[in-house]
Order: sequence, then structure tokens, then C-alpha cells
Amino acid sequence: MTRHRMGFVAVFVFIAAASLSASAEDDEQKLADRIDELIGAKLADANIEPALPADDATFYRRLSLDVAGKIPASAEARKFLSDTRQDKRRQAIDRLLDGPGYGIHFANVWAGLMVPEIDDGFQKQALVASLSRWMRQQLDENVAYDKWVREVVAFPLENNSEGGGNEFFNNTGPTTPTAFYQSKMGKPENIAASVVRVFLGVRIECAQCHDHPFASWKRDQFWGQAAFFAGVRRPANQMGDFFIGTPLMELKDRRELIIPGTDRVVQPVFLDGKEPQWKYQASARATFADWMTAKENPFFARTAVNRLWGQLFGIGIVEPVDDFSTENKPSHPELLDELAKQFAEHSFDLKFVMRAICLSKTYQQSSVYAGPSKPQTRVFASMPVKGLSADQIFDSLIQATGNRDNSRGNSNRFGAINSPKSTFQQKFAPQEKRTEFQTSIPQALALMNNPLIATQTHPDKGDTLAAIASAPYLDTAGKVESLYIAALSRRPTEQESCRLVSYVDQGGNDREKKKALSDVFWALLNSPEFLFNH
Amino acid sequence: MLRDRLSRRDWTKLASAGALGGSMSNWFGALADDAVQHPERKRSVILLWMAGGPSQTDTFDLKPGHSNGGPFKEIETNVPGVKIGEHLPKVSRHVDKMAIIRSMSTKENEHERATFHLRTGYQPSGPVQFPPLGALMSKELGDDNAALPSFISIAPFTVLSPAAFSSGFLEPRYAPLLVGANAFRQSSNYEQTLKVQDLVRPGEVNDKQADARLGLLKGLEKDFAEGHPGVVAVSHQTAYERATRLMGSAAAKAFELDEEKDALRDAYGRNLFGQGCLLARRLIERGVNFVEVTLFDVPGAQGWDTHQRNFDLLPRLCQVLDPAWSTLLRDLKDRGLLDTTLIIWMGEFGRTPRINRDSGRDHFAAAWSAVLAGGGIKGGQVYGKTTADGNSVEENPVSVPDFMCTIVRALGIDPTKQNMSNVGRPIRLADAGSKPIQEVLA
Repeated sequence: MTRHRMGFVAVFVFIAAASLSASAEDDEQKLADRIDELIGAKLADANIEPALPADDATFYRRLSLDVAGKIPASAEARKFLSDTRQDKRRQAIDRLLDGPGYGIHFANVWAGLMVPEIDDGFQKQALVASLSRWMRQQLDENVAYDKWVREVVAFPLENNSEGGGNEFFNNTGPTTPTAFYQSKMGKPENIAASVVRVFLGVRIECAQCHDHPFASWKRDQFWGQAAFFAGVRRPANQMGDFFIGTPLMELKDRRELIIPGTDRVVQPVFLDGKEPQWKYQASARATFADWMTAKENPFFARTAVNRLWGQLFGIGIVEPVDDFSTENKPSHPELLDELAKQFAEHSFDLKFVMRAICLSKTYQQSSVYAGPSKPQTRVFASMPVKGLSADQIFDSLIQATGNRDNSRGNSNRFGAINSPKSTFQQKFAPQEKRTEFQTSIPQALALMNNPLIATQTHPDKGDTLAAIASAPYLDTAGKVESLYIAALSRRPTEQESCRLVSYVDQGGNDREKKKALSDVFWALLNSPEFLFNH
Repeated sequence: MLRDRLSRRDWTKLASAGALGGSMSNWFGALADDAVQHPERKRSVILLWMAGGPSQTDTFDLKPGHSNGGPFKEIETNVPGVKIGEHLPKVSRHVDKMAIIRSMSTKENEHERATFHLRTGYQPSGPVQFPPLGALMSKELGDDNAALPSFISIAPFTVLSPAAFSSGFLEPRYAPLLVGANAFRQSSNYEQTLKVQDLVRPGEVNDKQADARLGLLKGLEKDFAEGHPGVVAVSHQTAYERATRLMGSAAAKAFELDEEKDALRDAYGRNLFGQGCLLARRLIERGVNFVEVTLFDVPGAQGWDTHQRNFDLLPRLCQVLDPAWSTLLRDLKDRGLLDTTLIIWMGEFGRTPRINRDSGRDHFAAAWSAVLAGGGIKGGQVYGKTTADGNSVEENPVSVPDFMCTIVRALGIDPTKQNMSNVGRPIRLADAGSKPIQEVLA
């Protein structure tokens, strides 16, 4: 009973605090407060006490990984920790969203969604590189979401000269989203399935062969979507049928499709059952794009904000994030509606929604839950622990160790086979549930013994390590602190510092001390605190 | 809904236990009544993966006298009436252990999609991450506490379809341990290539220091797990424990090929594939359940993808394959492992019977050959038949699902068993509607 009451009081304070700051003028803060109100109400209903707020270091590291795709540099982390301004978290959110890291990281995220892992063949890596180059442009310029999605879906394919061999593999052609179509081999059914899944959050492809038993999608509805893409053609190419970069063509007036293996002809029909109104000389895809990106489309904005939420919390309001259906209910329907409405009202500005979520107390909660039993992830009573992508891990290792690597954000060439980055990409393939990330043996071996780690945890060869270990102005405690900031973006606790200082000093001579410092750094880089976002 | 309350693992557990069988009959169909004939018998698999797609017309299904046949001759084998290509003379002495399937009839004829298709048993479609056979069998047969991972892939060429060398929608612990992945033109450097990546710690770190490091890490793991109890923290600890165990284990000695007698090493062939087959035997001996060895890196050839100079390259490829495969079969038999080890020989497709103007053969999925041998297989037979020109299957076509179903059944596992996929739909080990080839099963 006591716990019951305490929980109630805490939630009350949580909500009161939220409504207090609602007096702030700006829309981002208002939406952030609304998030906290709706999450808080559910917690109050269930008598669940939320976790405490995350401390500054945890927040900044989390934000940096989520927005810019890597941990902060030591200097940045120190600056943030010693910043005394009241609004420093807000400033950090703005700074990171407007910095180059956002475009680099989210170009990887969106390109990965449009050409998912399953399509990740040798040639398709070149497509991902091409697509993320185009995505980067959209994100750097903060092009409105509806606008760039419309361009993906309606991009004219005729007179598209991209796709010569060298141009394709070096990714030096014009920057376009055509790689998306090439990755689907120009097949209308593959294009439709992907568009509908990525941008409308609906897995309709299961209805390709038969009516979907779990959801209400029917086979004809699937082919009704595919028919919008019926004009896309993949002509024969002198480089052979297997060459995935084959330029595509389009027959603009083709608006019907025969279901393969049958003699049934299908006309395009929208998912909501409405018949399209054709416009003069507009392709069927353009008509589809108009319907899809319309403010009134109930799926479009919801799918996007749910993806952003899932990206930031590791788990969507609707989860899996691409499975909107009557059977798969959102955890917080009102919140989803509110985020979607605000997103559409703010010109489909992705950064607006990101900003609001990151400002919320819900996002800024600790990942440590102090209560006796941890509530299920979907009530968002604490920040879930999230696995990192291969890019996040690799880029963070580079950041922490000071290793020189210029591959970040360089999508002009896809990574060389067996390069340090590609070995990490191979070992850290995306996992479906980031909040249940599983570490594998090859991952552990790579992090313990990989040449990159071996060099960077060598007392004389490691860039960050050697600099810290031989810094004359730092005592052992200062050195340990510097290693903590480099790897974990925080200062060690007093207890940690004590333990490690005595570990290092017992080494005796300078040589032994340096070696002991390398052990500390090695352990930090292999620790779950480094390898996960929390 | 039920699936809100059950974690995926629980769901799969219940499903495989048949607890949901009644109410969900659509998905969890009745377990086949004659399933699992030898449930107590744990088997292992060696998959000889012929990357690029070998020409059936020049290996196991010759067409002497026909214009498609090419210059190669047929030779007798140790099974009366069964003939194979002249470039596999050593293998011809082991046909009594083999079921040669001459009627593979599959659906993909582009490397990337076909690699995925033949390795997973499913055509690539949308977001479903179908696991490769090795991951599925690793889950069925493997022992989580073993020092060696239960799925090891030797010298794989993964770039064509990385997904076909992953754990798919299964948990990451079923992903293959890749040994010598994508080792282009490294065939001569096989000693180095056949080591586990990152298995050895940096030279300057001695035992004492390594222990100290692990001690520090343990402390950090413990602190993190206290604040963040759950699967992420546990899985980190487990993986590090297993990786450390592997680094220090006697089982890792499997990779020390110089323990073998020179004569045996010579017999396998002193090249990446030959020594890879020897490594496969050493791993099987130490209880690894699924080992695959890829034949790709042969000087002058890009695997079996002989669009040009087929009749020049094929003998070179066979010179690597013939000693390795035949020695592997003999070696397994000598050690009493043949009865419990299923050996699969296949590529992603075959090659056109018609010879192109570059004296090559192109991709061909309609009618090609694969071979099963050893444990669970009735050897000494040919199954299926192609037409005189080799262009189509005349008798007993075998689809990919039927082929998978036969393999799974030969291992004593129920092919209708299901795993929950990443799209929330249970997927069978072998696709619905598939049937095992009864004639081929022992």
C-alpha cells in the first residue's frame, strides 16, 4: 500500500512539473510537455512511478548517439558538463540537430530502411551508398518530409542516364533516389511493398500470395498498390541481367497490372479503397504520391512520427514500427495522434518532432529503474537500453580512441571489402529489437582483439590513450578521468576512481602504469556502458 | 492479444511444444505423425558450397554425344550403371555413399537471389529475414554450452548475399562463426586464412594482463547489469564468456591443422578448400553441428561462374574439389563419423547445357544436380532425370523446399517445426507444402 501511494505522489509531481513548464512559448516545448502529460497519465493509471531524470552526462551521450550517431568528443563532453546555463540541454539539442552529424546518421538510417539488410548484396551496397548520398542532401537542407518522400515515390525514371558501370560503383552519377527503384529490380510489386511499409507502416507484402490471416489486407489490395508502379520497366542491359545498376524506364500511361501466374488484370486502388483521379500527363506514381503524402492521410504522418519515436526509444508507440494494423494497437494512441497532427501542422519538419521528443522529460529519464520490479518497456517509465548500429559502434570507437578514419559520411564509395569499417558492419548486422540486443561471439572477439582495438589500446600506439598516459600535467586520477570521458562521456564515480587509481598505481614504474592505463581503456571500450545507448 | 503478453521466445517455445496447436491450427499445423524418426540421434552436417553454380553437364549429369555435352567423357563409378564426369575420378570411388540428384528445378537464376534461396530454402521476399540452413540446424542440434559455436562457415564468399550468412530472424547466437571470409586470392595463404578472426589477443598482452583486463571488465559488466537488468546485459556477459572460453579452449585447437599428418594434409589438397575440408572434419569431431566449406577461390576462376572458358576452368576447379571431397568422405568413414554426418554438395544453381559463344555456360536454374551423402542418406543411387539435351527435368523434379525438407528429415528433425520470424509470422524449417524425397532417405 505504501508503494502505491508513493507512486501516485511521484506521478502527480511529474505531471505538475510538466504543466508548469507548459507556460513556455514555443511549440516544441508545448509538444514536449504534452508528451510527458500523456505518458504520465498512463503511468498514473497503472500506479507506476517513473524513473528519475538522467544526469547531464548520460543525457548528453544519449542525445549525441541518437541524433549525431556517435558519442561526443571529450572536449565537447567536458564543455557540456561544466556548462552552467539553465537551458544547456535545449542548446545541445539544437546544436546537434543543426550539426553535420544529424544528416550523416539519419541518411544511414533512412537509406537502411529503404534498402533493408535483406537486400544487402554486393551490388546493393553501392545502391545504399548512392541513396544515402541523396538522403544526406535532403536532411542537411532539412527538406520537408512530405516533399522528399514525394520525390522518392514520384521521381521520373525516363531519360535517367545514371547507371554506367564505373559511375555506378564509384557513385559519382547525379544525386537521385533512383537507387531505391534499382534495389527493387524495378519490380512493381517490390517497389509497392517497400513504399507502403516504409512510409505507411503497413506490411502488405504478406498479402502478395494470399489474403493475410492476421490483418485485413487482401491480395487484390496488394496488387492494387503494385499497379501504381506498373509502368516501371527494367530494360535488357548490355552488362547483363544480373547488373543491378541497370537504368530503369517508365511507361507513364501504364496503369494496370496482371497478377503473375494468373490472367487477372488489376487497376490501381488506394489502400483506403478510393479510386484515383488521373491527371493529364501525370504518372500513376505521382498520383499515388499525392494521395500518400496528403495531410489527410491517416497513415503517413503517424508512420513517420512513430519511426522517430522508435528510433529514439528503441521501441515504437506502434511496435513493430512498420506494422500498423487493427490487431496491433499503439501503446499510447492519443500521443501518436498528437505527434502526427503537430508534425503535419509544422510542415512535416522531422527536426521539429525530434526536438520536441528530446526536450521531453520522458526522453530525458534515466535508464536505471530504481523500483523493485522494472515495468514493461512500452509504458516508458524509464529509458530503454538500446543496441547500437554498426555505424554507431564504429564511429564511436573512432571518436573515443582518436583513430584517424575518414570514412564517416563519405558515401562516394562503398566501403572496401575487409576494411575495418566493413568488418564491423558485417559483425554488427541490424537486429530487429534494439531493446533486446544480443551480443554474439564474433562481436565480442572483434571488440577484444580486433587490430583496431589492439592498436588503440596499446600504451604507445593508441592515439587517445598514449596522449593521456603521457600527459605530464595529469596525475593518475586525472588520467583515469580522461579515459572515462573519452569512452563513456562521464567522470568516474569516487568509488570507481579509487579502485582504478590504486589498480594503476600498484603497477609501480611508469612503464607498468601506462600498461595498467591501457587495461582500463580496454575494459571501458568493451563495457556494456560503452557498447549500448542508455 | 496473446502476442502482447508473450515474449517472442515464449511464443516460439509454446508453439514448438504444440501448446498453441489447437487454437492456431492455421499456423501451427499438426506435427507430422511420422516425424522425428530418431530423436535421440544428433547428427552433424558438412555443406560443400559451390559458389557461382557448377555445371551439372560436366560433373554429374553428362550428355555424351549431344551437342550440349562438350568435350568431357563419362567414367564408371564404384556403383554399377552410375557414371559421372571424368574430372572427378577420386569422387567416383565414393558414389556408393551418395545420392546424386539430377533433377534440381529451382526458381532463381541470379547469384544474389539464388544464393539466398538455396541457403535458406526460401525466395527472398520483402522484409522476412529467413535464416540460412546452418543457423536453423544450429538451433535444432547445437549445445549452448559448447566451447565452439555450433555453426561455422569456412572461407565463405559472403558479399553476394550477407543475409544468407547471418542468423536471419533467429537469435544472433545462431549466426555462423566466419573463418577466412572473402579471402580473395588468398588460396596460397590458407594457413593464415583458416584461423578464427580476432581469436588471438594482441601479442604484447600476456596471460596475467589479459586476466587483469577481464577482471576489470567483469566489474563494469556487474555494475551495468545492476542498474540495467535484462537480456541486453545478460547477452553481453554470455557472449564475452563464450568468446573468452573459445580463446582459451582446447577445442580451439581444431584450427591447428599442423597437428595432422602430412600425408593426410596432402591428400586433402594443399589449398584453401582442401584444408578447409580437413578443418571441417576436425570441427565435426569436436562436436560442431554445422560446418560449411566454400569452394570459390581457385586461381583463374571466379568460383564456378564459368561464363567463359568453361572447359578450361572446370578441370581446375575439379582438381581442387576431387581430392578434398573424396578424402573427406574416406576420413569421416575411417573415424566412424560418416553415419552421423550428412554431406551436402550444391551451388546456387547449375549452368546452361547449351554452350555459349565464349565456350562458357551461363546461369541455369531449370534442371541441375546436387549431391547428398553420408548420414541419413541411402547411397549408391541417382534420383531424377533430365532430357537428352539437359534443358529440362524429365523425371522427379526437386524444388528447393523439397530439397530442404529432405535434408532436415535426414537429420532426424521435423521439417514442419516453426520459428517465429521478424515479421511476427511463424516460418517452417522447410516451406509449407514441401515433401521429403523418400527414395533418398536411409
